[in-house]
Amino acid sequence: MGVVVLGVGYCGSFPTSSGLSYRELIARAASMAYQDAGINPEQIDGAVTVEEDFISGYSIADEYTPDQIGMVRKPIYTVPGDFLQGIGSAVMQIKTGRFKTVVVASFSKASNVLTKDEVVGFAYDPIFNRLGVTPHYLAGIEMQHFLSGSSFTAVDVAEFSAKSRNSALCNPLAPYASRVNVSDVLGARSVASPVTELMMARPADAAVVVVLGTDDEVMDTARKPVYVTGTGWASGNSIIERRDHGISAGTALAAKMAYAEANIENPEAEIDVAYVCDIYAHRALMHMEALGLSCDMLPFVNPDGGAQAGGDLFEATSGARFFDAVRQLRGEAGVHQIEGAERALVHGWRGVPTDTCAVVILEGEGR
Amino acid sequence: MKNNRVAVIGAGMTRFVRRANESSGELASQAVQMALQDAGLTIDDIDCVCLGTAPDAFDGIHMNGENLIAGSGGRHKPYMRHYVGGGTGVMSPIHGWMHVASGKFRTCLVVCEEKMSPCNPHPAGAFLTIFDHTTEQPLELTLIHIFSIEMCRFMHTYGYTEEEIAQISVLCKKNAMDHPAAQIAQQITVKDVMSSPVLSWPVKRLDISPTSDAAVAIVLANETVARNHCKAPVFIEGVGYRLDTAYWCTRDLAFPNYVAMAARDAYEMAGITQPADQIDIWEPYDPFDYKALHHMNALLLDKGGRRTKELLHSGAFERSGSHPLCPSGGALGVGNPIAATGLMKIAELYFQLSGQAGKRQVNKNALRGVAQAWGDLMQVGTVVVMSSEGGMPRTTPWSQKKAEDLPGTALKSFDEVPHFKYEPDLRYAWDNGQALTTYLDGLKKGHIRGSKCPKCNRMMIPVRQFCEICNLQAVNDVYDLPDSGTVQTFTLSNVNWDSSPLPDGKVNIFAVIAIDGATEEMGLIHKLSEVKPKDVKIGMRVKAVWKPEAERTGNILDIQYFKPVSDKGQSDIRPRQIKPVELDAISAQPFKGRIPMKYIYTAGQGGGRFYKDLFEGKLSGTYCKACDAVHMPPTSFCEVSMTRLDPEKDARVVNPKSGVVAAFTVVHEDRSGHQLNEPKVVVQVEFPEAFGSVFGKLEVKDGDVIEVGMPVELVKLSKGAGAEQITFRSRA
Ligand SMILES: [Zn+2]
Ligand SMILES: [Zn+2]
Repeated sequence: MGVVVLGVGYCGSFPTSSGLSYRELIARAASMAYQDAGINPEQIDGAVTVEEDFISGYSIADEYTPDQIGMVRKPIYTVPGDFLQGIGSAVMQIKTGRFKTVVVASFSKASNVLTKDEVVGFAYDPIFNRLGVTPHYLAGIEMQHFLSGSSFTAVDVAEFSAKSRNSALCNPLAPYASRVNVSDVLGARSVASPVTELMMARPADAAVVVVLGTDDEVMDTARKPVYVTGTGWASGNSIIERRDHGISAGTALAAKMAYAEANIENPEAEIDVAYVCDIYAHRALMHMEALGLSCDMLPFVNPDGGAQAGGDLFEATSGARFFDAVRQLRGEAGVHQIEGAERALVHGWRGVPTDTCAVVILEGEGR
Repeated sequence: MKNNRVAVIGAGMTRFVRRANESSGELASQAVQMALQDAGLTIDDIDCVCLGTAPDAFDGIHMNGENLIAGSGGRHKPYMRHYVGGGTGVMSPIHGWMHVASGKFRTCLVVCEEKMSPCNPHPAGAFLTIFDHTTEQPLELTLIHIFSIEMCRFMHTYGYTEEEIAQISVLCKKNAMDHPAAQIAQQITVKDVMSSPVLSWPVKRLDISPTSDAAVAIVLANETVARNHCKAPVFIEGVGYRLDTAYWCTRDLAFPNYVAMAARDAYEMAGITQPADQIDIWEPYDPFDYKALHHMNALLLDKGGRRTKELLHSGAFERSGSHPLCPSGGALGVGNPIAATGLMKIAELYFQLSGQAGKRQVNKNALRGVAQAWGDLMQVGTVVVMSSEGGMPRTTPWSQKKAEDLPGTALKSFDEVPHFKYEPDLRYAWDNGQALTTYLDGLKKGHIRGSKCPKCNRMMIPVRQFCEICNLQAVNDVYDLPDSGTVQTFTLSNVNWDSSPLPDGKVNIFAVIAIDGATEEMGLIHKLSEVKPKDVKIGMRVKAVWKPEAERTGNILDIQYFKPVSDKGQSDIRPRQIKPVELDAISAQPFKGRIPMKYIYTAGQGGGRFYKDLFEGKLSGTYCKACDAVHMPPTSFCEVSMTRLDPEKDARVVNPKSGVVAAFTVVHEDRSGHQLNEPKVVVQVEFPEAFGSVFGKLEVKDGDVIEVGMPVELVKLSKGAGAEQITFRSRA
């Protein structure tokens, strides 16, 4: 039994979205996904929502998940994790044989959060790691380790960021696309050296909803199904004192799992387009290394501009990439379409202070 | 179809205590070590890890699941957290079941942890911000208020007395006397419950479970692994979970339909048609005594509620009875570290059904049991049915465990150990969007507004832009409704949102009020006044008392309270259709709010050693035999081998002056993101004798060249200092 993407919906991303409550933002993406899948929520067996309490702004955020995706009184739970972990969970659910269709939803209403750095800093270990400074300090430490252990330089990192922001000027869903060059990025305000402000994705609002189903049951309702052929997720050490900060162990392990499932032996040759998490630009290069992708792959990485241009959507960040990947495989990505893309990799990372990562392999109808 | 049965093959748990010395991760690691040992496996045999922990607001760590990776054995493994508020504990084996039943993994370690004690002054304060930010939080509600409101409605509908309900508290606390992890096991009487202080009528002190710190872990395996490793595997035969709408005032609270639906799902999968006859052991969630009965109505699929009452009166719920209820002692007796409680119930089914429950073993040959948890805004039900192939009572390590055999160190006060205070600044400005802005605009004008779904014709409050039960049907018609209604249920409360007592003699009356003109049972929660507490009745007619127009701001508090009126029923004022607010920069003002939490964290065993050393200008690591390395900073477990370490006995002295900078960063912002006047340097420092590092700030003197490899020393800390004060300086 295979699992397919029946429909996708996206609303965003916006630096602010005061005309829409989070409920209205999500309902919009959900309606779009159901329309895309040719299905009504009442026909869907279950749901997974992906979010974290303090970003959503509640002590128990999962209370507020069922209504705006039309899944009241259905089997539904929340994965406080990366969006792709939610996909992984939904795929397992379908593979138990008890569920035919499952919807996965996530959102960011970062503009509601007035003290975002406080929230991120609150994720650090209270005993050892809350140092009273910007929570981005670990990104600075990481970038230094990464550059000293690889052939990349700060210029390469800046180039990645500049390229992402420039190329996304053709993507209407990327509010932070802009005309910047390498020296702008390197010379931008320093946050936690060597990380500058233009190497960091800025917070944004968006909702993303994906409808998954079994290939045997629901193929006829789907407009252009896309296959989920591999899922993997893994976590590096949560004790940052004993983690190797020059690599992303979480990514490497997640990739191994997803590649094995999708029968991928030579990722660079077998993957047409890759979306890697780039909340910090150095992390994008670090993730590519862990995924087994070389610099030759760069023209096929984050064609939508990634989070550098689309914004940091917290738990939903990889959801935006997933949405674009599905459109690529359907040949509907518009100006940034990669010709002949048949197999896509989507990667997600949970941000500092974690090394929790997930990888999903998607394949088009022609597989 | 392929055989995808999943079995529980081992369990572990810490003691349930009010205030644990161990950190969150340390608690989890202790439960994990026990569960692995019980299953006869090592961490290398575990394919994946599933974590359940309820609100981050308890442990006081954002993304608490990420912080718990090491303690839960999730390092370098597929690790995923799931979450359904108070229902998380029983959702955990369900998510674990998915991992294995999907065929993706052979074994799954399921861990549930909750450390509620960091949340101060009282963990109940975390519940203020579970309510809707705009329409409910300004009323300063907490969980006890809505429990009381639900209990009141339950008593009204099913005719229970407070005394009848108190029997459950008596039963659970008695059962817990045989549970090695129990926090508040005791022999009490119905009279004791009745005479305990009334917190929020009808809820009294002894109707409620305590707040607790604990962790529980179980090992799940597919049938092949289970048969190879376990004498009496207990199989997960049925799972169900359902989540109702967040608009909790818009349904009857007497019968938890969502629990019944979850139970039906689980029964259907397990082939159960007559639950009352086919299930031997019952572990419904019992955070309050009435909840056990409330949930039994649903688990018995008995909306009329007769069967539950008969069973209660006939003594069938005793451990020796026909329908043993909470033989573990439940949340009321063992304790209620939310997610861990649910998994404790699953562990109890495992012990009972495999014959290892010792003194708690029920009086019959139990083959099948059901466990259930519940949570969110009276909203979620999670149900698991487990069965064995006949586990005769037998002697095993678990059947003989006593309290002293379990890990988990209870503290009387934080002052016994190094601890840190922390106050996160969590502020929000909620975009209300079109629907809520229209609702708030109505309040400003002195109207309660609803919107009408053209499909189901429900007149819904508060206003919404889509219908949650009609496939997200767009809803455009907004109406001004009368500002009168009928009390559906209520509580007479003596406590504030943070559990502190109200001034003597003051009573806050909160009621769910079905608003006239809205669809039946569509209500909102508000305060009642101009009425004596003893005169408040379900069915009472009430009307809003508004603030003067000039003082209204578009807030639920524009209604000061509702007061009784003596009209006969729904007034015949017709709802008046109005135009939704057109959003512009003025109307779209966000609604400000904050999560007002304060925390006290213990340093734990590893951290305790670290800080005690540092207060004397010393440093140590913990030697780990499995890794043949000294772990830095000190730790009570090895996250690689998941073996137990002792930061005292296995301590190895490390020279605090032997540090070398492994990496550094110059930071220009404070913890809130504001620009610093003087940048600071954060360093990661390694020590030649140890595996690991210490993070801290570098004291920079003129002439210092900051670089990787720079020799530094750790500066002695003054007592009471924490991570923010950890400082290095150059040795040059
Ligand atoms: Zn409707
Ligand atoms: Zn070790």
